[in-house]
Amino acid sequence: MTAALTVTNMSKSFAGPRVLESVSLSVQPGEIRALVGENGSGKSTLIRILAGFHLPDEGSAEVDGEPLPPGRGEASEALGLRFVHQDLGLVNNLDAVDNIALGVGYPSFRGRIRWRQERKRTQAALAELGYKFDVRRPAGSLAMSERTALAVARALAPRSTPAKVLILDEPTANLPAAEAQRLFQLTRRVADSGVAVMYVSHHFDEVFELAQSVTVLRDGELVITRPVAGLTEDQLIELVVGREVDNAAHVANAAERRDVVLEVTGLGCNVLTDVDMTVHAGEIVGVAGITGSGRDEVAAALFGGTDRAGQVKVNGAAVPKLRPDRAMAMGMGLVPAERHANAAFMAATLRENITVTRPGIHWRNGILWRSPERSDVVKWLERLDVRPRNSEFAMSELSGGNQQKVVLARWLRMEPKVLVLNEPTQGVDVGAKADIHKLIDDAAAQGTAVLVVSTDHEELVRLCHRVLVLRRGRIADEISGGRMDHDIITAATIGRDQHSAA
Amino acid sequence: MTVDKQTPIEPGVQRKAGRQPTRARRSLAATLGMDRFSGLYVWAVLILIFSIWVPSLFDTATNFRIIAGSQAVTAIVAMGLIVPVACGAFDLSIAGTMGMGVCIVVWFQANGHGYLLGIFAALAFGLLVGLVNSFIVVKLHVDSFIGTLGMSSVLSAGTTWVTGGFQVANGISPHFTAIGQKQILGLPLPVYYMVVLALILWWMLEYTPVGRYLYSIGGNTQAARLAGIRVGRITTGAFLISGLVAAFAGVLLAAELGSASPDVGVPYLLPAFSAVFLGATQILPGRVNVLGTLIAIFLLATGVKGLQLAGAPGYINDLFNGVALIIAVALAVRSARRKA
Repeated sequence: MTAALTVTNMSKSFAGPRVLESVSLSVQPGEIRALVGENGSGKSTLIRILAGFHLPDEGSAEVDGEPLPPGRGEASEALGLRFVHQDLGLVNNLDAVDNIALGVGYPSFRGRIRWRQERKRTQAALAELGYKFDVRRPAGSLAMSERTALAVARALAPRSTPAKVLILDEPTANLPAAEAQRLFQLTRRVADSGVAVMYVSHHFDEVFELAQSVTVLRDGELVITRPVAGLTEDQLIELVVGREVDNAAHVANAAERRDVVLEVTGLGCNVLTDVDMTVHAGEIVGVAGITGSGRDEVAAALFGGTDRAGQVKVNGAAVPKLRPDRAMAMGMGLVPAERHANAAFMAATLRENITVTRPGIHWRNGILWRSPERSDVVKWLERLDVRPRNSEFAMSELSGGNQQKVVLARWLRMEPKVLVLNEPTQGVDVGAKADIHKLIDDAAAQGTAVLVVSTDHEELVRLCHRVLVLRRGRIADEISGGRMDHDIITAATIGRDQHSAA
Repeated sequence: MTVDKQTPIEPGVQRKAGRQPTRARRSLAATLGMDRFSGLYVWAVLILIFSIWVPSLFDTATNFRIIAGSQAVTAIVAMGLIVPVACGAFDLSIAGTMGMGVCIVVWFQANGHGYLLGIFAALAFGLLVGLVNSFIVVKLHVDSFIGTLGMSSVLSAGTTWVTGGFQVANGISPHFTAIGQKQILGLPLPVYYMVVLALILWWMLEYTPVGRYLYSIGGNTQAARLAGIRVGRITTGAFLISGLVAAFAGVLLAAELGSASPDVGVPYLLPAFSAVFLGATQILPGRVNVLGTLIAIFLLATGVKGLQLAGAPGYINDLFNGVALIIAVALAVRSARRKA
């Protein structure tokens, strides 16, 4: 049988070190292959070469026996490669119908686009993924999970040539557990129809659940390709990181009841209605919920990034709405989701990225002094183990995990009383993820009240003393103590009644 | 405003953290600072070429004085423009504000009021324009490009209204023209104003928190807002500065010309923008900055003057400016892409 996708000795470098070093692999029709590796291990580069974004320095690829001409996106399409890229590649000001048509074109009837029919087809394609939203809304206004679904629907939309290989680059990065399940089902159906699937993910449970085989990349080199059967999660982590990672279950001690720092009453914002919550000093509280539950609105509404109803108090003082500057001055910090859009200054240096929240402390005698600022920043880069340690590197030169650490450093440096984190380890590799979790622990240990909003339920279990579960904009459950388990959280988010089951 | 706006790079594409290829393998070009100081090299080459080509005309102290003096006002408007551009906002009304500055200060003198009052009124008017611009952009959420384009048309109407459509030159005080024409050490006063303003703005953009906020807003407005920066307030300040500086440039222009006519500011718009964007390829690549802007202005002026002295026709000015801008920005984008 001809392999659906064969990659032979693929190498690539960007201005210096090889990011891809003679990588060879092949995927059979109907096979689901997981591609794992830390950020910067070369996964995305490989995919971008296949998609024709980058020219390989060496090596070749074949799709179903046909050689893939390098650097030509349309040729990749024509040969049957289908992609869901990490950044999804949607056009934000076009609606769902138009976005799908970008790859496919509009089937027309006597030169006229039949919009009603097109909308129906789009709705059907999305419904298959478990999504239902207004297909006339511009993609930019959709929630991240809805955008992911749209990108998947586009990749699977029928074309003039049949799909041979579906390549998914971290499709679940923004998907809550329940919706990720639907994506898995769909992926399996696609594979069963004889399409090879290459699945890139940082979530190893997904690898075990979905894939038959796994390819591990590290520092641009292929470490191993092997069947998933017989592999343990710890072994896989070791293969990816190249060292053992302390993955011991963290036992969150029920924080001794210290003072209430964050007090929220009657919070409302779009879906959110009348949410009350309190977070004590030193406590880490999680927020879980499926898309549409209001989960992704909590963080920005609290900090003042978006309009809200209700009252937010820090140490008893009310924080005015829509005033991030006041929230910051009153001791709140926000690590927002979607780093590129909401947190990173890509062209600026790490120094500027970290001190942006308070450059003024190095301002003496009318001058913002560089050298104390630099040593201040380097101290934080060391503390958070950001690589490189050079404060003058541009943010864009860092890997995703390191960028996230820089954003975290920006806020830890403020020594906030309340730290709100939205998807703190989104698109972050295993090593950096463990580091970030440790830093969040440390912040709480020093008395910061921490609120973590996350779709990663393992993360919530790892970090939190208790988890608030949102359903339809209201708090439906509070999970703590013995019930702290990711399956219970997942079940609670989709509304299975755990009380009667127990 | 960054010229070489880098597309967010996928993590996997990046260099392995910890290795420092650009630092490790410094090429000769990098050692000479070709990426940051290319403008200075080109400038030196231009001076050399014209010194050999037309030595009798070009290579004279008088000629250098003429270049410096004639470009001071352009440089001042351009430097005012840097501030809003740094925070990602365009101010297309600077030429109009400048024109109004000229007309107001002359009108006051022509109608028997003192020139000091005229200067004061012109500067106050510049601030008013900045305030209205910021209201349009910050409060009404009109795109700055469109908002200030509209404002420039309004101001153009204003200059015609104030001057009645004709040149006004009566009642100008010699004390007033001295502000623009007096020379110290052979250089006209505006050159000194230019230097002082450059120092102030360089300090503000590089050595104060406000400068940091401006560039942050220009880099990523949403991230800046969520980092607790008061985007609206800083943007307002930026428009106030560009308005004030443009009006000041108008006052200087009036003092140099000794008269006012409608649309006198218009020819300054494009050179100011060219210089700011060209300047963003120099000294601090990817960032609009004061020194880069000054280099750009004098580089272009030297080229134009040299070609004129060598006998090029009058339209060489616009031609040279336009071509130089496109080439420079194209080079900057290219180097930024290679870096990515």
